[in-house]
Amino acid sequence: MDITALKIRDMRNMLDKKEISAAELTDAYLKRITEIDGKLESFITVTADEAKADAAKAQEIIDRGEASALTGIPLAIKDNICTDGVKTTCASKMLEDFVPPYNATAMEKLNSNNIVMLGKASMDEFAMGGSTQTSAFKKTKNPYDLNRVPGGSSGGSAAAVSASLCAAALGSDTGGSIRQPASFCGVTGLKPTYGRVSRYGLVAFASSLDQIGPIAKDAHDCAIILNEISGYDYHDGTSAKRDVPDFTAKIGQSIAGMKIALPKEFYADGIDDEVRNAVTEAAKWYEKQGAVLVDCSMPSLKYAVAAYYLIASAEASSNLSRYDGIKYGHRSEFGDSYNDLICNSRSEGFGDEVKRRILLGNYALSSGYYDAYYGKAMALKQKIREEYASIFENCDIILTPTAPTVAYGVNENISDPAKMYQADICTVTVNIASLPGISTPCGYDKNGMPIGMSIIGKHWDEATIIQAADAYEKQFEYVPAKI
Amino acid sequence: MDLEMVKYLSKLGKLNFTDEELEKVAGDMTSIIEIMDTIKEIDITYDPLKDNHNVYLNGLREDKAMESFPTEKILQNAVKSENCFVVPKVVE
Repeated sequence: MDITALKIRDMRNMLDKKEISAAELTDAYLKRITEIDGKLESFITVTADEAKADAAKAQEIIDRGEASALTGIPLAIKDNICTDGVKTTCASKMLEDFVPPYNATAMEKLNSNNIVMLGKASMDEFAMGGSTQTSAFKKTKNPYDLNRVPGGSSGGSAAAVSASLCAAALGSDTGGSIRQPASFCGVTGLKPTYGRVSRYGLVAFASSLDQIGPIAKDAHDCAIILNEISGYDYHDGTSAKRDVPDFTAKIGQSIAGMKIALPKEFYADGIDDEVRNAVTEAAKWYEKQGAVLVDCSMPSLKYAVAAYYLIASAEASSNLSRYDGIKYGHRSEFGDSYNDLICNSRSEGFGDEVKRRILLGNYALSSGYYDAYYGKAMALKQKIREEYASIFENCDIILTPTAPTVAYGVNENISDPAKMYQADICTVTVNIASLPGISTPCGYDKNGMPIGMSIIGKHWDEATIIQAADAYEKQFEYVPAKI
Repeated sequence: MDLEMVKYLSKLGKLNFTDEELEKVAGDMTSIIEIMDTIKEIDITYDPLKDNHNVYLNGLREDKAMESFPTEKILQNAVKSENCFVVPKVVE
C-alpha cells in the first residue's frame, strides 16, 4: 500500500491504531520528495530534519492516546505563511533570507496539533500570479504534465498535494490562488469566508481579500484542516468573533432539495467548451440527486477582473511599501542616501510582476485617477456583493467553472500580463464579496488534464459547500497524476 | 501609458528602471490599463453606508501594554545592525 496516497482521515485511523508510525509516514513523504521534487519543483525549502523531529514528538502524543485531528500528519505550508525559525521567502529575492521571528496564527494552530511540517511550498512571487512561474526560486510544474503550469499562486501547495508529496497543504487565496491551482492540479482547495482564518503572519498582499485555506485530496480532508485553523485571533482585527462549527458536520447528508444557482455569465464565451461541458454535466448530476438548478445572472462579472486588480494592486502598493531593505529583506549594496538605498533595494529585490502591481496600485490611487479607478472599483465591489446577496436569497450554493481553461503550457501567457489577468475571471468575485468557495475536480480534458468546478457558499456557510463537494467527489472517478 | 507617467509612478513606488526597462514597462502597463478602463463604461458610485456588515472588519482591541519581541529577534533579519537598524547618514 502506498501510504502517501491516503486521505488524512485514513492516516489518522492507522496512526491511532498503530498500523503505521508518524516516522514511517514522514519518511515515505520525504523519500517521495527526494525522488520527484527535482522535476516538480514544488518546495522552496524542505525541512527534513525538523520533520523527523516533529514526527518523533507526534508519536509520543499518539502513544499517550492524546492525538488531535492532525497529530503526525505531514503537511506543506505555502511560503508566504510565517514559520518561526524557518525561511519564509514569498518566492521573492526580496525575502530570500528572511527567517520569521514568529509563527503565523494558522501555523501556531497546526503546531498545537503537532503536525509534521515537511517544508515550504513554492508560489508566485508575493502571491501575485496564476502560474507559479513568477517564483524567483522554484517554477513549479503540473504533476499531470510537466510541460504545463500548476496554476497559482499556491501552485507549489497544489502540485505537492496532487503528486502525494504531502498529505495536504496550506495555501492562501486573494483572487483564486487556492482554487485555481487546485483545479489545475486535480485536487480540492477551499477558500474560507473572509475573517474565518486569522491572517496574522500571512505576508500581506491585499489585506481586504487575503485568506488562508487548505488544499487537500478531497473536501472532507479540507474540512478537517479548516476545523483546526479557524477562529478569532486577537492579532488580526479582521478575524471574526464567531464560533467555529464542525465543518464535517454536513458531510453525507442528502443534497436533495438543495438549490444550486448557475449564473449564465460564468458559462459564456471565453470559457473553454470542455470546461463548460464538464461543469454542466456536474450540475446535471446534482439535479439527478434531487437538487434544484436555478438559472440566474451576475451582470457585473464583466467588470470583475478590473475591479479586482485595481483594489488588490492598490492594497499591494501600500502593503509592499514596508520593504525598504533596512529592517528585513534584501538590502542593496548601493545607495549613499536613505532614498537611494530604498529604491535600489526594492528594484533589485522585486520581480517584474510585483513591480507592475505596485505601479498599477499607485496609478489607481494617485491624484486625478482615484475616483475613476479605485473609487469605481469600490463601487463595483458593492455591486458584486449585492448581486451575490440577491442570488443567495433564492439559492443555497452557486456552481461555476474554477478557471476558463485547464492548465496551460509553462511558456504560454507569461509574457502577456493582461492575458494572465483575464484568466482570473471565474474566481475573483468570491474574494471581492468575502464569500467561501471550494474547487473540486469534475472531469478531465482530451489530454487528461484536470477540470475544476467551484462551489460558492453564503458567508460563514463553508459546511454546505463542503457537503456539496463531498457528495460529488464520492462518485467521481478520480484519475491520479502519473508522476 | 506614456514614459512620463511610468517615471512618475516609479518614483511613487520607489522603483528604478533603466531606459530599456521603462519602454517595456510602459507597453505592459498600457495593455493592463486597457483592461482597467472597462470599468469606465458603468455608471455607479461607492456608497459607504451600503457596506456589507456581515463581514467583520477592524475589530478593535483594548489598548494595554503587552510583552513584545526581544530586540535580537527583531534585528535578526536586518542586513546591517548594531543593536539597532543601521541606515545611511540622513543628517549632514
